[in-house]
Amino acid sequence: MPGTPLLMTFPVTATSHLLAEYLARGGYGALEKALTTMQPVDVTKEVTAAGILGHGGAAFPVGRKWAVIKPNDGQPHYLCANADEGEPGTFKDRWVLENNPHQLIESMLLSGYALGVRNAFVYMRGEFDMPYRRLQAAIEEAYAAGYLGKPLHGTGFVMDLVIIQGAGSYVCGEASGLLTSIEGKKGYPRNRPPRLTVKGLYLRPTVVNNVETLSNVAVIVRMGAEAFRKVGTARSPGTQLVSISGHIAKPGVYEVEHGYPLKKFLFEDCGGMIGGRKLKGLIPGGISAKVLTGEDCENLTYEHGVFDKAGSALGSGGMIAIAEGTCMVRLLQVMLRFWHHESCGQCTPCREGMGWMHRIIDRIVSGQGRMEDLDQLIAISNANDGTTICGMGDAAGYATVGFIAKFRDEFEFFIQNKRSKCGGVLDVAESFGAAGVAHA
Amino acid sequence: MSVALMPVVERLMPEFEALKKRLPPNFESTMVMPCLHRVQAERGYVADEDIVALVGYLGVPRMQIEQVLSYYTMFRRKPIGRWHLQACRNVTCSMRGSERLVDALAGKLGIKPGETTADGRFTLSEVECLGSCGTAPVVMVNEAYHENLSIEKLDELLGRLS
Amino acid sequence: MPDFFINGQPVHAEPGQTVLQAALAAGHYIPYFCWHPNLSVAGNCRMCIVDVEDGKGGTWSEIACNMPIEEGMKVLTETESVRNRRKETLQLILLNHPVDCGICDKAGECMLQDQHYEYHGERPVSFEPKVTATKFHSLSERIVIDNERCILCSRCTRFTAEVSGSHSLAIQFRGDHSLVRAVEDGAFDRDPYSDNVVDICPVGALLSKDFMYRSRVWYMKPTPSVCPGCERGCTVNIWHRKPEWKLNALDPRRNASIDRVTPLENPAVNGPWICNKGRDLAKIFERPRAEQALLKGKPAELAEAMARARDLVTEAKRPVALVSSWGSNEELAAFKAMLGARLTAFVKHDAVPAPGEVIEDKVLIRPDKNPNRRAAEALFGAAPISFPEGTDLVLVWGEGFNFAGLPRGAKVIFLNSYLRPENGHADVFLPISAQTERNGHYTNFEGTVSEFRACFARKAGVADAEAVFAALATRERVAA
Repeated sequence: MPGTPLLMTFPVTATSHLLAEYLARGGYGALEKALTTMQPVDVTKEVTAAGILGHGGAAFPVGRKWAVIKPNDGQPHYLCANADEGEPGTFKDRWVLENNPHQLIESMLLSGYALGVRNAFVYMRGEFDMPYRRLQAAIEEAYAAGYLGKPLHGTGFVMDLVIIQGAGSYVCGEASGLLTSIEGKKGYPRNRPPRLTVKGLYLRPTVVNNVETLSNVAVIVRMGAEAFRKVGTARSPGTQLVSISGHIAKPGVYEVEHGYPLKKFLFEDCGGMIGGRKLKGLIPGGISAKVLTGEDCENLTYEHGVFDKAGSALGSGGMIAIAEGTCMVRLLQVMLRFWHHESCGQCTPCREGMGWMHRIIDRIVSGQGRMEDLDQLIAISNANDGTTICGMGDAAGYATVGFIAKFRDEFEFFIQNKRSKCGGVLDVAESFGAAGVAHA
Repeated sequence: MSVALMPVVERLMPEFEALKKRLPPNFESTMVMPCLHRVQAERGYVADEDIVALVGYLGVPRMQIEQVLSYYTMFRRKPIGRWHLQACRNVTCSMRGSERLVDALAGKLGIKPGETTADGRFTLSEVECLGSCGTAPVVMVNEAYHENLSIEKLDELLGRLS
Repeated sequence: MPDFFINGQPVHAEPGQTVLQAALAAGHYIPYFCWHPNLSVAGNCRMCIVDVEDGKGGTWSEIACNMPIEEGMKVLTETESVRNRRKETLQLILLNHPVDCGICDKAGECMLQDQHYEYHGERPVSFEPKVTATKFHSLSERIVIDNERCILCSRCTRFTAEVSGSHSLAIQFRGDHSLVRAVEDGAFDRDPYSDNVVDICPVGALLSKDFMYRSRVWYMKPTPSVCPGCERGCTVNIWHRKPEWKLNALDPRRNASIDRVTPLENPAVNGPWICNKGRDLAKIFERPRAEQALLKGKPAELAEAMARARDLVTEAKRPVALVSSWGSNEELAAFKAMLGARLTAFVKHDAVPAPGEVIEDKVLIRPDKNPNRRAAEALFGAAPISFPEGTDLVLVWGEGFNFAGLPRGAKVIFLNSYLRPENGHADVFLPISAQTERNGHYTNFEGTVSEFRACFARKAGVADAEAVFAALATRERVAA
């Protein structure tokens, strides 16, 4: 285990997601504690004191977001769990939804109690079928047991919870696009101001938090902020569910305590690279986080400040390990194709810029690149920096700049020689075969 | 009229009303996507008569539904093959062989991504990250994820799909 | 009221204004495409991004159209970084924009042309072929869209959602294959305000089929006028060939015809909008004209016909007049002054709603389809038309009266601008000028008076109604 777990604290079996087993693990105990011994503001204080940062990618302090919601302002408040999990490389919220859905429900009840919420939502990407069925079944269990839909523990607090499914749009994972989708429209992100905590769902005060972030609320209330802060580091308390994939020997979801050494995680807990290959690059937090080289990863510990200083970010916790022999130009091509496909099309820099970058990289890969193309890609990235409605344009730009900065020799080689330095290979495992020897 | 012959939206009305009960009042617009998902699951696509029925039931402008259907990749307005093979082409799946899988599928079925086999059994699509990178490469067949695929496993899967 | 600074100069702002609104009101121009004073803020073109000093020696930047004003904030709109960002934004807008200016109706009044000239003016740097899309895709019987030219500002979609209420235009799909489309049930065809989207489109994407390729805008001049389509009296501009650019080689009628009608912005009456009936004023004013005076259907000299009419008026014992509700304030006053004492006058509803025409709505359209009935009734009362026993002369001024309703035996003087069979049935027919051939005023249903001016010269054999009334009231001969 990469450090102290807070979420993945029980063995996953065929039945461990059911209500009876959740109760046996102490589930819904934090809810009872809060509703019988704490006021809503006390729950918020505990979450704020715990110092937890959002786990969706932006790492915004949760307490600071919640503090904007004014109690008793005469307006409905809404709470939305972001289960869109569209960031490539990320599949960790899925672990919660499939294996511990009641923890999310209990956490949302706690959060709803703190924020004065009557109606809460889980926005889940439309492609997730098993997670949807598991969570929906858990919600029905919770309704039947009286946790949802009925006033709780003698207080006036009652909450309904509904899953709204997405239908194939990455930007619906952006909080304002998510709410616009819940409103039954195209998932167009919104300009700020107004902040969503002031005018969110149907222009009412709304808190949107990632599934993993919310799942920590039950943990914080149960063990207390002080005990929570003993896990992790001062700046990054608690843990991160890390989804690791790519050319790693043991891909999967791991709970990593903040501060854990990155190299140890990669090469011990995750079994290192397949076939013992060299780590060429690491996408640390979904493809929107700047790529690190193998050398960059030498002395990093898994926490926010350290990764920020290294010029990247923990992001969504979606790690992709890239082995020597992978063509970084083609990898960037896959990424730019993705952003081009997912641009909602509202704002000029992203709508035109993503298509432009995609067409440039396609031209490079087809052997018709020019040296000026690299500067052009960087210029388009800069034109998207801070000028767009949502963060996708910026993210695509940062990733592009990162790839070109760290692997410039490969890009220049491709342009000058009209072919990849690595044979255009992405699927290293196949190319290297069982003997670990490169083919053609 | 027997249930099976009723227009799809009418047939699904009890489900829609149950959902409505868990929503605040005046949240009809929120019901657009859940209703479209259920209609498509029933019919295989969303028909013009479904749009008309939903406009009447939810009281939203028709244009809102048309926009939603065009914007989201999972909705379709025409029927497709019985088995929708959606192969992820994103970063990790590409790094674990999805390109070869798609080529193999295209070759076996004789269609290109975006097309349907002549016998109406299979439609092949390339999709973006499905959130299953740890078990790449992944192909979503209708609503189910098929993970840790190889060409052999794909052959076996196709054999099982009638 | 907050005060803030733009480029070092203090600016006064009204509560609730954004930086863009306050800047424009104070005369500081910040370029934009998607913002419109009468529509919600979309904030998608990104052209209006400005810098704001952060108080620590640096700046942050954001779109001005959505930026709330804080007391003392220091906004910079002309720094090098702001100017470079505008160039980049224009570069991206122009990335896939077809260079159609040579064949595009919008040239000369195009926001993209203007901004490019002002802020960019450079050659494209892209090495990629432009994204193509549908060109001249029909959105309705009246409007086409060239999707390649469209910059997806969403002004048109916001218009049908927020102003006309038809919700009939929207952006379909996404990314750089987004397309503006009309809803499939034909609601855009039925939207009586559809043509306003042509005005508000910042480029030559949305175009009027009627106006397509009709004229370059710099050859036309706008003359202020008032739409006579209903009692709202929206003010309009009637565009027609500038005299100094008159066509010599083509049909000369093109020098004296209506090329297009656009709204003349009027906060008190119609804001910046008009309905489609106002766009189609040529359908009213350019119907075949009566240019020849007639005596019992036989052509006559105007002077001779006027003299005969004067005699009829003098001889009549019980003359009745049906006054036109399309008469201008001036014409109505003249009638009152000259003939009001002699003739019993009733105000006629020249126009009634056509089959299928919108009677009334919440936007602009009013049920009375006559522009000046209020002013006419103020002078002549609102009694329904009835002919007293012994009526021996009826002076019919303007259209809309069924001659079958005339009293037996009465003589008829008919004043009309357009060719009608009834012209030949009158004892005296006098062709009169249309609204576009004289100056005048209408009073709308709320009492607001608006001016219209002459666009064209009246033809030789046609008289102004005012001159006719004067002639009918005197005993002297009046020159034609």
